[in-house]
Amino acid sequence: MSRLGIVALLTAMLAAPAVRAQQPRPWHQLSPDEQRRAWENYRRYQQLPENKQRSLEERYQRFQAMPPQDRDRLRQNYETYRGFDPGQRQEFGQKYRRWKSGQH
Amino acid sequence: MMRCRRATRWMVTALDGELPARRRRALDGHVARCPACRHEMATTAAVLQGVGGLATSSEVPGRLEQATFRRVRLLAAAEAERAATRAWWMRLRLPVLGFATAVVAIVAVGLMRSGDRPLAPRPGDGGRRVVAQAPTKDKPPLVASRERRDPKATATVPAEPPPQLAAAPELFMDLPLLRNMEKLEHFEAIRTTTLDDGGEQSNG
Repeated sequence: MSRLGIVALLTAMLAAPAVRAQQPRPWHQLSPDEQRRAWENYRRYQQLPENKQRSLEERYQRFQAMPPQDRDRLRQNYETYRGFDPGQRQEFGQKYRRWKSGQH
Repeated sequence: MMRCRRATRWMVTALDGELPARRRRALDGHVARCPACRHEMATTAAVLQGVGGLATSSEVPGRLEQATFRRVRLLAAAEAERAATRAWWMRLRLPVLGFATAVVAIVAVGLMRSGDRPLAPRPGDGGRRVVAQAPTKDKPPLVASRERRDPKATATVPAEPPPQLAAAPELFMDLPLLRNMEKLEHFEAIRTTTLDDGGEQSNG
């Protein structure tokens, strides 16, 4: 096997997990905890108005289309956001409204 | 000849006018001859007349009536309370025992499972997450969660999800993230936005 072939094989082996990570996992590949979270959120989703449901689906499509590093960044931001105490969350909400008003 | 004993037995019936004529004649003959039975007959007649003159009902004084009813009500209430207490205890005894057993079992399973694998709490959870799962092939895993959720959302996870959930499970897994997507996309810009009166906004 040529040197180029070995390099290509190694590249493919290294890239495989990344490619797999980009593809949505089927239900049976989720861990029990992930299944529980998905199920609970699904039940909440069912209670949302139809336009909200559509909006979330669009966001999901957009999220799925993002490069992995962008998705990781969002996840990281979300973890930080979740870690906020009520005061920090309130302040962040105020800043968000201020920021949003400046966007339009 | 009639004896005094029989005469005494027939007296009340005779005085009520219900003794057959033949017996009545025999009784009258005996009473005419026997001073003791004559006296007994006279006494019985006086007693029957007195009894007949008594009223069959009479007015009860209002205070006595009220006191009697009050006492009856108190006794009835006390008896009902005793019965309810007995019934409450009898009703609760088995469920309480069952509940205590279930709690002990859940705690034991939770301890065993937490020894098997870490629960990996997320930031902000503060170790509040409690998960007890026993998934099997036939039965869907049962889930108990106290994680900042509304109680209605906690439920048994089905082994076979609904089609929409099966089609895109990660959509629902990431639902909280998706709901806050705009904030998260511009997280740093928002965090560095100032809240002073000038409303100056950083460019992030």
